[in-house]
Amino acid sequence: MREKMHIMIVDDEMIIRESFSHWFQKSGHFVETAASGSEALEKLEKIAFDVLFVDIKMPGMNGIELLEKTKEDYPDTIVVIITAFGTIETAVEAMKLGAADYLLKPFKPEQLTLVMEKLTQQKKLTSAYNYLKGHLDRITRFDNIIGQSPAMEKIFELIPEIAASDASVLITGETGTGKELVAKAIHARSKRNHSPFIAINCGALPDTLLESELFGHQKGAFTGASHARKGFLEVVSGGTLFLDEIGEISSKMQIDLLRVLDEKKITRMGSSQVIEVDFRLISATCRNLSEMMKNGSFREDFFYRVNVITLDLAPLRKRTGDIPLLATHFLQKYSQETNKHVDHINRDAISLLSNYEWPGNVRELQNAVERAVVLAKSRALEADHFSFLHLNDKPPSRRISLRENEREYIRWILEDSGWNVTKAAKVLDINRVTLHKKIKRFDLKRREH
Amino acid sequence: MIRNETIIGILPVGAVPELILKIIASNIEVHLNLPSEILPFFGPPADALDKRRQQYDAGKMLQAFSVLELEGFKKIVAVCMQDLFIPILTHVHGEAQQGGKFAIVSLFRLQTDKMLSKLTSLVYERAVKVTLHEIGHLFNLLHCEDKHCLMHFSSTLDELDATPIYFCRYCFKYFKVATRP
Repeated sequence: MREKMHIMIVDDEMIIRESFSHWFQKSGHFVETAASGSEALEKLEKIAFDVLFVDIKMPGMNGIELLEKTKEDYPDTIVVIITAFGTIETAVEAMKLGAADYLLKPFKPEQLTLVMEKLTQQKKLTSAYNYLKGHLDRITRFDNIIGQSPAMEKIFELIPEIAASDASVLITGETGTGKELVAKAIHARSKRNHSPFIAINCGALPDTLLESELFGHQKGAFTGASHARKGFLEVVSGGTLFLDEIGEISSKMQIDLLRVLDEKKITRMGSSQVIEVDFRLISATCRNLSEMMKNGSFREDFFYRVNVITLDLAPLRKRTGDIPLLATHFLQKYSQETNKHVDHINRDAISLLSNYEWPGNVRELQNAVERAVVLAKSRALEADHFSFLHLNDKPPSRRISLRENEREYIRWILEDSGWNVTKAAKVLDINRVTLHKKIKRFDLKRREH
Repeated sequence: MIRNETIIGILPVGAVPELILKIIASNIEVHLNLPSEILPFFGPPADALDKRRQQYDAGKMLQAFSVLELEGFKKIVAVCMQDLFIPILTHVHGEAQQGGKFAIVSLFRLQTDKMLSKLTSLVYERAVKVTLHEIGHLFNLLHCEDKHCLMHFSSTLDELDATPIYFCRYCFKYFKVATRP
């Protein structure tokens, strides 16, 4: 089956536009026309064209200027220059600027056929290259951790070094900064990568349930324990255990885990049999454990045991240079998932995203881009598509504390979801139980209208 | 006179040897299974001649036919001896209104030595292929990627000679549906 292409003919002469259209339509290609460079740019905003046939001599923006703009904003679009008055110099200039070919009007039928065959081949190769590159990026670039800022480059440098050791790691950072992704990347690069990576959100589980989940239990150990069950400390054998929100666990659980880390041995609940375990611990928290240690809510010995190596992930507002890259990455992801031809974020939208505070960090940016892609009617995301970022109350100022920041953000999401806890927890990507805990801790109450 | 709806009219433009018109007509009947009829000749429209290029604009030719009273014919394919072009190409062997009523075929470049008297069987075969191909477009068939199909686009005479006189099975099926009364 011949690959059908989206072609735009840009020529100020109507007769040429029509002639091209009829010719390409006979091969089933989708053809659009534009009488000027500016009209072509307007259409490029809305439709993803594979090929542009552009006349050099046009009133207003000439073909070379249009070629430059197209290559700058839509580098995957192939441009073929057509002219009735060709010179070697203009041909060389066009090719230097990225034109795929240069044709003198009128062309021989075989010339046009040859160009179309070449372009079809080029499109196939580009698609294959993009697919393979994306696949390669996914498997080599630390599990989708995106960034080019100095802070993220530092993290990328540290991950292989940390992965090579077997020491406990504490990852700190605000909610939504990608702590679990970093933990997974460390595991993936470590010698334990053939064994399981198990992630547990400590904040989501009540203390007794967490104990049962981690240590396992014997049949009849407690009411409802109808079967013996292995805990995650056993199941993870040889792999990596990731304890998220470690600041939420009780003092008793801290003591129990400390013993396990020291002795590498456990006993299931309701059993006296000692079982040897082997795992690497990676913990994460968005809370200030040093402060908690000072006020006695986090044990000092446990803190030093889990905090052999610390990785601090910078909030998004402190690495705004990564925002365009992340936004483009999420755009590609969601346009593929939703099967929508949205492949571009315009400058105003990028500027808006870069100036926003992002209290929910990368996760919030991801949700914002997903929402914008779903709502988008054109090929490019514009500032208007992100108007919901302004519709609600202003995000908290930079000068308030981390705790206050989290409180305000949660309140903001709850208000936005009409205090539907299930919906808000989904947006925040946390468990409902955790959200209830946070609502209680931050003393959040629904506003009276 | 009431005619079959799918009848093909063959319209000679200027002086066209009668033999080639008859060959085309019989091949339409044999290969496309459609009745055809040779019409009285029509003088080449003067405004279709591009004096600078000394060629006839195929698009303008097709427009000129639309004023003719040719009711009763489902499709009309004109045959001419003039050299045809479309604005973007140096020349064409044929041109058709995609899914429309009129098509035109030029014999000008099908003869290697340009001598009318030297019309050979190869030229007849080429003329038939181009005509059937353009009729395919009139029934909304598109260019086919299969080189062994009449609807494959041939940009040179060598390619045209290598193209068969029949459709591939997919184009054949489409053509059968399109010509169903």
